[in-house]
Amino acid sequence: MIHTYSLLGYHIVLDVCSGSIHLVDEVSLRLIEGYETRDRESLLSELAARYARQVSRAELEDAYDQVTALKAAGKLFAPDTFAPMAGELKNRSAGVVKALCLHVAHVCNLNCAYCFASQGKYHGERALMSFETGQRALDFLVEHSGSRRNLEVDFFGGEPLMNFQVVKDLVRYARSVEQEKGKNFRFTLTTNGMLIDDEVIDFANRECHNVVLSLDGRREIHDRFRVDYAGRGSFDRIVPKFQKLVAARGGKNYYMRGTFTHANPDFLKDIEAMLELGFTELSMEPVVCAPDDPSALTEADKPIVMEQYEKLAELMLRREKEGRPFTFYHYMIDLTGGPCIYKRISGCGSGTEYMAVTPWGDLYPCHQFVGEEAFRLGDIWTGVTNTAVQGAFAACNVYAREECRTCWARLYCSGGCAANAYHATGRIDGVYGYGCDLFRKRMECALLLAVLRQLGETA
Amino acid sequence: MIQIKTIQTRNLCESAKNGGCGECQTSCQSACKTSCGIANQNCENKNADK
Repeated sequence: MIHTYSLLGYHIVLDVCSGSIHLVDEVSLRLIEGYETRDRESLLSELAARYARQVSRAELEDAYDQVTALKAAGKLFAPDTFAPMAGELKNRSAGVVKALCLHVAHVCNLNCAYCFASQGKYHGERALMSFETGQRALDFLVEHSGSRRNLEVDFFGGEPLMNFQVVKDLVRYARSVEQEKGKNFRFTLTTNGMLIDDEVIDFANRECHNVVLSLDGRREIHDRFRVDYAGRGSFDRIVPKFQKLVAARGGKNYYMRGTFTHANPDFLKDIEAMLELGFTELSMEPVVCAPDDPSALTEADKPIVMEQYEKLAELMLRREKEGRPFTFYHYMIDLTGGPCIYKRISGCGSGTEYMAVTPWGDLYPCHQFVGEEAFRLGDIWTGVTNTAVQGAFAACNVYAREECRTCWARLYCSGGCAANAYHATGRIDGVYGYGCDLFRKRMECALLLAVLRQLGETA
Repeated sequence: MIQIKTIQTRNLCESAKNGGCGECQTSCQSACKTSCGIANQNCENKNADK
């Protein structure tokens, strides 16, 4: 299976299963598109007539032979032989947990209307995780991590800094046991910034592998949703704190993470606003909400969003050439060192290697399922008891969905987000088509940027 | 002049041979938290045939 597309004046051929990518001209693009379905003579005759001014018949024959050689080398039209391996990684690591999302605070000091977590409460009661519960969660992770050395823990909420003392105590505890247990904890803090102070900055920069900072871009966009309980926008209060934290971070990972909604499908302006504020590690996510929510993206928004992704790629190219690069989370692709095929086909890992822990110690498949009682997996004391639900998540992989089998982007999304699928279709093995359309567009842009970087065309 | 320029990429078929160590980052545990993508992650298997 191949995927061909033209973007920003370039023509790309992706050989889906081998992962090979070819930068081609328009004539070769048409030749490759017709190679498997047309006979040689009729294809070459048609192309010779159509592109008579650009190429000779001999050149076309030579190109045809090149395509034949690439196919023989497994770099074009490689068959999908991966289906039998789809469940292998999960079977091999059955019972192994390597990442927990710790909901240390089901409270929040902001009242964002679009929050999928219902202002941090996840449709339940306000609550803070105790140190003892968090400690047991870390022990649960170590006990179930098998031979995995790298363990990921995200302090999440609500707003995790509303329970900062417990966060600090849990990190201290983890550091005290990791050497003896042969583990390496990687902590992430996801915060709205309201409670950032010098102590938080020092802690985050010393202990956190990554920091995710919520900022939606332009002041008027940010303050539309991200307000306190008095209805006041948070932009002016958090931006100086974020700037101070990032300046002190010394090159360690961070992301300014924004959400775009029906209110700002022209989110490139928000990316530009973040850049003007001095931030360079950026992520912008489509809102996750019910289709009838006023902030939900509409079909009419989709072409605007698609165009924004293209313009974002153009902006990145331009700034890289100017020596002012920035990172966009969804456009990061390592063509030579990316994930192996097992990772690419085995699904996101929610409910198996990754789980969320509530303030009172319940386990859910991921942070987005917290509060959905039917998806409660068990707790950190007795472990997973709802094996039926865990089994359903374990079975989620690229080959579990019929639509994915014929999608060219399946080895880049690993089958998509189970929560998005559930909210869109009522099934975790459903398909959230709108999200898929956006994802494919992002991958086209990301692949092109990676190709141009490798060829030195962004220097 | 017709041009077909093949870009250097990891051979996904070959990656099956030594892949699957599981040390790489969990898909969602990073910046997004609301959409799944694995393309932007790095392989952490130092012994892998890349």
